[in-house]
Amino acid sequence: MNPALAGLTCVVIAGAVTAVAAREPRVALLGLLVVLLGAAFLADPLPSPLAMASRIVAAVLAARLIAIAIRGGDERTAGSRLGWPVEALAAAAAAVVGYGTHGLGAPGGGPPEAQAAGFAIGVLAAAPIVSGRDVFRLGTGSILLLTAGLLVRQAIGGTPSELDELATSGLVVGLGGAVAALTLGARAAAGGLAPEPPAGSPRRPTRIHGRLPGGAGPAARSGAHRLSPEAGPGPAIDPGPPS
Amino acid sequence: MTILPFLAIAFGAAAASLLTRRIAPLSATIGILGLLAAVLAAAAIDADETLAIGGGELVGSAYLRLFAWLGAIVALLLALLGLLSSSHRHVPGVLLSGLGAAGLALALPDARIAILAATAGGLVGILVTIPLPALASGVVVAARELRALAVAGVLAILAAAWIGRPLGTLADEPAVFGLAYLGFAVAVAIRFGAIPFHFWAARLADAAPEVSLPMLMAWGPAAFAVVALAWVDQSVAPLLVPLAVERSLVVAVGAFSAILGALAAWIQDDLEHVVGYTIIADAGIAILGLAALDPAAWEPARTWILVFVVARSAFAAWAVAVRVSFGTRRIDQLRGWALRAPLLAVALVAIVVASFGFPGLAVWEARSGLIDLTLDGPFAALVTLGALGPLAVYARLIAIGVARPSDAVARAASQRPVWPARPVGGPTPDAAAGRRVTVASAGRSLRAAGPSLLDAVPAALDANRALLAGVLVVALAGLSIAVSAGGFGVSSAAAAAPGRLPPPIESVPPGSETAPPASPSPGASEPLGSPSPASPGASEPAPSVPAPSGPAGSTSPGLSFAPLPSP
Repeated sequence: MNPALAGLTCVVIAGAVTAVAAREPRVALLGLLVVLLGAAFLADPLPSPLAMASRIVAAVLAARLIAIAIRGGDERTAGSRLGWPVEALAAAAAAVVGYGTHGLGAPGGGPPEAQAAGFAIGVLAAAPIVSGRDVFRLGTGSILLLTAGLLVRQAIGGTPSELDELATSGLVVGLGGAVAALTLGARAAAGGLAPEPPAGSPRRPTRIHGRLPGGAGPAARSGAHRLSPEAGPGPAIDPGPPS
Repeated sequence: MTILPFLAIAFGAAAASLLTRRIAPLSATIGILGLLAAVLAAAAIDADETLAIGGGELVGSAYLRLFAWLGAIVALLLALLGLLSSSHRHVPGVLLSGLGAAGLALALPDARIAILAATAGGLVGILVTIPLPALASGVVVAARELRALAVAGVLAILAAAWIGRPLGTLADEPAVFGLAYLGFAVAVAIRFGAIPFHFWAARLADAAPEVSLPMLMAWGPAAFAVVALAWVDQSVAPLLVPLAVERSLVVAVGAFSAILGALAAWIQDDLEHVVGYTIIADAGIAILGLAALDPAAWEPARTWILVFVVARSAFAAWAVAVRVSFGTRRIDQLRGWALRAPLLAVALVAIVVASFGFPGLAVWEARSGLIDLTLDGPFAALVTLGALGPLAVYARLIAIGVARPSDAVARAASQRPVWPARPVGGPTPDAAAGRRVTVASAGRSLRAAGPSLLDAVPAALDANRALLAGVLVVALAGLSIAVSAGGFGVSSAAAAAPGRLPPPIESVPPGSETAPPASPSPGASEPLGSPSPASPGASEPAPSVPAPSGPAGSTSPGLSFAPLPSP
């Protein structure tokens, strides 16, 4: 076992646990950034400096785009219902399995630590992907899931080429942009990170029957959709004449 | 010329268009000019040109050139149509970036990298799925889209990585290839929104702008499917592994999508939903191409993909033009549309012909070929009937179109060219006299009164929106007929092999004898980051067959998976 890679694997897994368990979006984003940066270095031999630079720039840019989307708000993400210790234990178990099954049946071309990290991050991504109602958490899960796949690929196939790293960087930036767009959209539409109310709770009005004062154009509809408890009082709604 | 100029134009113009999105006219102008330049750059792609870059290659091919060229033309016409409707300001940028990503994916011979490009291209669609101003329903749909893209992407990444390296004794396990094959096929089905993975795609029609639907649901997934076809062709099919169960599952997904997609399209009352489900139905036939595992499926599968994305784009454009003309997408409110808008009627007939064709046309031969290669007996007949199911949709639309016009249709503007009342200085003499203002009479008036033509043009464009939309749709319908008939060399491009060989994959078909190693092709590159099977650094001296690495890469007659010769 390479001690440096093992240490980096622990850092990456810790970042992933933080990303899925934290309720404060900025903290979760910091964890995500750690994962994206660390994943670029979990290779043996290391990629070329140019390839690493592209991955670092892509990770920082993706995190920056998401940071722009969450700044100025005090919304909290759903976080993990089980708590970070459970997430950490599940990730540790998955990491052991990943390390032990390096190569998935055949000798792997990359380090086993990458597969350990990939398995751990994949397990951590499952809950946000399956049940994430708030878009920030779902986006975090999506980025983690694809990062997990890339790490397992790195463990199986070895260090990617520069072109491969460039394509990976494009994907990371695209993911960051997509999560940022979703987060901005959810905040604009619902005043929070979850565009849909959780199951079992009374539904937030998503469609206004009747007319809004001053017309029912797009701006008025947009105002109507901000009628969430967090957004405070919105425009008065005229339900129209009784039918 | 290599594909590099095309990529630079597509991504550069997309970035410029998206960055200037707050200045809508500038953003749209950049987008339109970028698409025009992309059309020219795509036409200049050299099928034999290869560009070495970053340890990999960008390889030109006739299919890539045709895909990029047709995609750029369709995107240009859709973007122009978007200007006539109340479209999303991100549309030109998203069309350009989606097109660039699709071109990049097709130019990468290594499926492991191409998957990343195709997945990244799908992500830009989220920008247009969230409406402006944002609505909760749109955000939910976009979130589902992101989830589908991530799951499909990771499935494909793992599948390609698992068997894309020296396998050693693992090659004795058919289940390995079966799982990898199934994973990639499911990824394609998810990207297309095939049944039963259609929940996110079905809602996409509600949220995304109509003109961007073809890019989100057809062109982007089509590039992903072409990558999958090449990967299956080089990595799974030549090994002659018994994959009956996996193939049956993929066939079931394709067949159910073709049949149920057509049925769902028939019962919809919203034109955008009809468009969405017909795309899903046609995608089912494309998925059958993945199930064939037969060299004979290479050409019809790639032909079908190209034909169906162009035809569906024309149908989506037709739906947009109907809304521009009549202000509604509800089919029950469109009675008499064909009488009021003859250009749209002509276009719909052309789209029907392009979608189904008749024996002898490329579209017909491709569809029947794929069904024959994957299904037998009554199942083949059932799926053939299902694939022709959208005919009922078109028949319904035409029947409604020739009925007595509804109020919405009767109130709509005619498709006759008109010149608007003078934008400055009051009405034209004809208009003031209550006479119909025609182009000729307006021209006389303008010459007499001498107003600036520039003042009149915007109003004229606005007054003739229905006509212009109809002209654009007729152009797209004509393009789809040409492609369906095999024009532009569709069939030969689809049958042709990529210019260079993708990386070889070492494997031994279970139960087969070890074939003699073939001499490596000059253009073949080694699996990235993994030792060559023949290299001294190989981890074990496993018996290896440098598997046919691509459609052109067959090395052993017994395992040949060479492309069909070009007709």
